[in-house]
Amino acid sequence: MNLYATQLECLLVILGLGTLLTDAFRPGGDRRKLGYLLATLVTITLLYSFTLAPTADTFFHGMYRLDSFALFFKRLFLLATAFVLLMGAEFVERFETGVAEFYALVLLAATGMLVIASVNDFILLFVALELVTITFYILTAFLRRQVQSLEAGTKYLILGALSSGFTVYGIAYIFGTTGTTNFDKLATLLSAGGSGSAFLLGMLLVLTGLGFKVASVPFQIWAPDVYQGAPTPVTAFLAVGSKAAGFALLLRVMLAGLLPVSAVWMPVLLVLAAATLGYGNLGAISQRNIKRLLGYSSIGHAGYMLMGLAAGNALGSQAVLFYLGQYAFTNLCAFLVIIAVGREEIADYAGLGKRSPILGAALFLAMASLAGIPPLSGFFGKFQLFAAVIEAAQTNWHYYILAGIGAGAVVVSLYYYFNVGRAIYIEEAKDTTPIPVSLPVRAGLYVCMLAMIGLGIYQQPLVEAATLAAGIFGLK
Amino acid sequence: MNVHDTLFWFFSIAMLLCGVFVIANRNPVASAMALVLMFLFMAGLFVLLEAFFIAAIQVLVYAGAVMVLFLFVIMLLDIKASERRRFAFLGVFGGIVVAGAFVWEMRIILSQPVIPLQSGNTDLSAGLENVVKPLFQHYMLPFEVTALLLLVAMVGVVLLSKKDLK
Repeated sequence: MNLYATQLECLLVILGLGTLLTDAFRPGGDRRKLGYLLATLVTITLLYSFTLAPTADTFFHGMYRLDSFALFFKRLFLLATAFVLLMGAEFVERFETGVAEFYALVLLAATGMLVIASVNDFILLFVALELVTITFYILTAFLRRQVQSLEAGTKYLILGALSSGFTVYGIAYIFGTTGTTNFDKLATLLSAGGSGSAFLLGMLLVLTGLGFKVASVPFQIWAPDVYQGAPTPVTAFLAVGSKAAGFALLLRVMLAGLLPVSAVWMPVLLVLAAATLGYGNLGAISQRNIKRLLGYSSIGHAGYMLMGLAAGNALGSQAVLFYLGQYAFTNLCAFLVIIAVGREEIADYAGLGKRSPILGAALFLAMASLAGIPPLSGFFGKFQLFAAVIEAAQTNWHYYILAGIGAGAVVVSLYYYFNVGRAIYIEEAKDTTPIPVSLPVRAGLYVCMLAMIGLGIYQQPLVEAATLAAGIFGLK
Repeated sequence: MNVHDTLFWFFSIAMLLCGVFVIANRNPVASAMALVLMFLFMAGLFVLLEAFFIAAIQVLVYAGAVMVLFLFVIMLLDIKASERRRFAFLGVFGGIVVAGAFVWEMRIILSQPVIPLQSGNTDLSAGLENVVKPLFQHYMLPFEVTALLLLVAMVGVVLLSKKDLK
């Protein structure tokens, strides 16, 4: 039964280890084709995951769950992995070495993310989190001839190690005061008796570590540098996979394990959400590099999603899941365009609409969706998050302030997203050579654009999946 | 204060001092030696908890194997003592403010009565069996994930440090 529950992880591990061996058995093979092949295989795994049924049972002595929440995130991670492998295949010429290892590391990081989706115990949480984070240190520094990439990797390593230290320290306090690391047992214990102050200290330390993963203020300092310096496929994986993993853990820890003490952590998240919204959106205004801009924007979006979590109602947690789902398509679309264009300054995107209509349209739609323009999916995602905050404000007026700050952030973000839009369609291109777009990238862009528009108009399927997934927490 | 408490305070304070030496020393070899001492004192803490097996492993693996590797690397790379640097006062000041705020916060939190919700019932003293059985039964999945983690780290080191980029 245990093996059955972890079959998706097992498949990815087999794929990853097999890829590691390709250099030994087929040196000098076509690495681009290998990337396309792996992306296809992961897509098949994604489709296969829809045959799995969620269950209320726990596996591995209560450490691992395969409920609808876990499956929702597993599918999201598989989707992101397939796209990142496709991006890696497009990026092949820019790697100097180790393309097969790059794919393998992406697959192993994805394995860690799939485990994270199912985590039900602090020990497993820490180990899976480290698997993902350590793989990302390597991936970030992958272009080791480039100073920027190395610098980003080092920064990420040092700050990441510090935040991991906080997490373990917090877990030690939690275990020391409750004698358990299991989320279910923790929830039972906490609702039965009060919680000691040392326990709360542990909880805040764990929150620090998870705040680092999702790049929320005040643990966000690394995000712009790492997003800019890392190879673009890795940046995309950070923005879509790593961030979603952080939110999966935040939701699971806070809503499954620590819900009985929500009176303590909700105000903390409220303040963090407001600060994150402000920092991300104000910081993005002056950016000239599009990856750095998306780094700041990812901080801002972490703020929107924290809003939903801070609201602490059923609508809020469901809205976070919906937002993560549509955010994945939007960001993957933007990063696919960045890889196809191959340049990072926003000025280089002048006249993109004429040079390549499909790239121009895709990037424009992605920016509009990030800004939350109807009828795109970003609009509906934000609408739900704000609705959740307003609902929470009926009982606690402080949430009105949060909603106000969120609305201000949306207005500010319009400016810098449309700066990119203006470059694409209004500014004249200095260089008017058309940009070739390969067939797989074209297909990926169509999928993303279809999802952005489709989920904006017909939200039902994703809303239903998100409602089902968030339903396991039993919030009102 | 009985012997147990005295020893606890001795080991803890000595550990903290050694930790400070590790980062305050400019000579990397001296730093590594301070780290060895710190591991030894930590082993002492485990002995006080009657976790004799973990204490022994602490000495063998950390103070022994891991530290020898550290020293090898330091000596192979021939790292010189780092130069005396001028303090960035803003950085030092900011660091003190943040650390002070954290200590102050902890003091407030820990000054409230600490009520263990449920005391830990793991008896570490019974020996090897109580360490190994949970590791390979209860905690099997994290154990396997750790194996992947080590593989990833190994691949990463080879990739990032190999000399020729083909």
